[in-house]
Amino acid sequence: MNFPKKPVERRNFLKGALATAALIPLGGALASCAAGGGAPNGGNAPEGEVSDTNPFGVAADSTVDVVIFNGGYGIDYAEFAGELMAENQGVTVNVAPSTNLAQELQPRFVGGNPPDVIDNSGANAIGIATILAQLEDLTDVIDAQNIEGETIRDTLFPGVLQPGTFDGKLAAINYVLTVYALWYSQSLFDENGWTVPTTWDEMMALGEQAKAQDKYLFCWGQEAASYYLELAIASGIKEGGHEVRLALENLEADCWSKPALQEVFTALEEIIAAGYVLPGGSGTQFTAAQAQWIGEGQEALLYPSGSWIENEMRDQMAENFQLTGAPVPTVSSSPALPYEALHSAAGEPFIVPSQGANVAGGKEYMRTMLSKEAATNFTESKLSPTIVRGTVPEDGFGSTALVSQVELLEAAGENVFTWSFIDFYGMNQDHLVWMNSFLDGEIDAAGLTTELQAITDAIRNDDSIEKLEVQ
Amino acid sequence: MSPFIQAFYYSMTDWSGFTPVMNFIGIDNYVRLFQDDTFVKSLGNNVVLVIVLPIVTIILSLILATLVTVGGRSKGQISGLKHAGFYRVVSFFPYVIPAIAIGLMWRQVFAPNGLVNGALTGLGLDQFINYAWLGEVATAMPVSMFVIIWGFVGFYMVLFVAAIKGIPAEIYEAARLDGAGRFRTAVSVTIPMIRDNVQTAYIYMGILALDAFVYMEAMNPGGGPAFSTIVMPQVLLDTAFSQGQFGRASAMGVILALVTLTFAGLVFLINSLTGGTKKDVRL
Repeated sequence: MNFPKKPVERRNFLKGALATAALIPLGGALASCAAGGGAPNGGNAPEGEVSDTNPFGVAADSTVDVVIFNGGYGIDYAEFAGELMAENQGVTVNVAPSTNLAQELQPRFVGGNPPDVIDNSGANAIGIATILAQLEDLTDVIDAQNIEGETIRDTLFPGVLQPGTFDGKLAAINYVLTVYALWYSQSLFDENGWTVPTTWDEMMALGEQAKAQDKYLFCWGQEAASYYLELAIASGIKEGGHEVRLALENLEADCWSKPALQEVFTALEEIIAAGYVLPGGSGTQFTAAQAQWIGEGQEALLYPSGSWIENEMRDQMAENFQLTGAPVPTVSSSPALPYEALHSAAGEPFIVPSQGANVAGGKEYMRTMLSKEAATNFTESKLSPTIVRGTVPEDGFGSTALVSQVELLEAAGENVFTWSFIDFYGMNQDHLVWMNSFLDGEIDAAGLTTELQAITDAIRNDDSIEKLEVQ
Repeated sequence: MSPFIQAFYYSMTDWSGFTPVMNFIGIDNYVRLFQDDTFVKSLGNNVVLVIVLPIVTIILSLILATLVTVGGRSKGQISGLKHAGFYRVVSFFPYVIPAIAIGLMWRQVFAPNGLVNGALTGLGLDQFINYAWLGEVATAMPVSMFVIIWGFVGFYMVLFVAAIKGIPAEIYEAARLDGAGRFRTAVSVTIPMIRDNVQTAYIYMGILALDAFVYMEAMNPGGGPAFSTIVMPQVLLDTAFSQGQFGRASAMGVILALVTLTFAGLVFLINSLTGGTKKDVRL
């Protein structure tokens, strides 16, 4: 470093300081973007002997580097699987928590040294489309035998691999089974002699009864306004059949104008106009809104959400709130799919990067996670089913919600569906804004349709975005 | 300087951020950005912030600084209001609170069942039952601006107090002898004498307004009703990490930097055009 020969003049120093200050935002915004040039170094782990108990040939003395999203489920279940695997294979498993996956792992992907397994979940998950080419096809994990000796494929619920399959490649194993439903308190409904509405007309009628008790049908929170879009899409698909789902998935022109979806939007618009939705949701934090429904006040009757809601709100649940799920209503009494049809999707996508230092170890870790022992441990401690069948006992470990999820899944049978376009193209943030306006009564069903279509059209017309074809 | 040059290069590529591979695509990213309604909206919001925030913050803090230093009795020694020291300490408090806490706290205060609505409905204004201050297009931006200003007025007040204390008391005495009132003294003596400080404050506050990320993300994480409060850094983060388009995000960063530099340049230019380099005081 060179020191200036003459003292820095105060004025010039200040000018420099000002210029530096002006440049700080630029540095802050971009410092994390600097790409390293590192050469890929993965995939060269020493291989152990391949057998039925070690189908991927993981070397006994190797280490497996696992990064788990530290969200609602924590990481202790992943550590449990790690210990199980260490016992079985004599490897070292390092499980690290992360809440900012994309930001933290981006340099490791660029540098060619990603972890061996990632639970790519949460608000800062890495967009799968971005790294699809760098991920292992996990079909061989599904075709392997689990620790108990059964072929893994035979132990899974139907359709659970679909959300992780992209263009025929099983790039992610979504571990946790999420049931999307209308959640309510069975005890509250019993007390008042209410039944859960099966059509939108019955919904209106229940809204009026709720109003008589100074309660609302629904409430919502700003960051979770799109739960109502999920409700609308699920109801629309049940009414109009898979044609509606495929139109949305493939970003078709005018897909939001399908009659089935329009009827649901109109029904929601009437509910909002009738004042059956607790006002002010667009300025309420979502957990605060959920507490309005599930807490002591029980200001709203129903809440559309995924089955994580129990784990998320356990601490704030009113006493004797028998959390139960019901299928979302249909428009008519003769929908294309039966009323019992269900939006259920496997979540918490686990991925194994091809450039990881121990790909065999990564796959073996997934095999361990999918064992009966690890899956039962998850279900018991998190009160959520995994994609592995038969891990929930009759009493649901004391959870009414868990019991009702299994019942919903059984009643739905093969009529389980899901969609991936919102996550795949990262549309949620844009949807949220307009769902808030819609639930607020600022825009009507027609306005909502226009905005949703505009978001879809923008992605369809952007040729720099790779499209996913769904059949 | 190399990160800046790198960023500029990345902004001309289709880099996804997660591979070492990238292709040069020229100014494509920039063209797309200006066709992207959300980005244009966020740019507009930042421009509104950069105009409103510094002006309001500086005017308010100048008034407060004047009051606690030279706004006191018009007889005897030049002094501030009674209990000026107390006011000074109290108004500095908000600056001590981290930005994220300020945002989260005010979000609760302005929530539909929060303090503000509680007070208003307590006064009998029933239209504010469940009114979503941060959820309405009409109020989301003004409320957000109020919160940011609340956080900074005390800090700039202290800055200006220090500057005013550096002005010789004789000048104020002379002004008083000549019959200048408090307002006239403030406009003709105080402001010209601390002009450099005002300019610095203006630039600092402007840079903050061109960011505003923490406050907006804490109060309206989704960008507010109809994107009325979305700012460029929010779009940038989403583009880079959720959508995996680092090239396009870098282009946003470059635009943000250019806007910031233009802003700083404009402030210097306007200041020198309006005679900022002369230091004389006219009474």
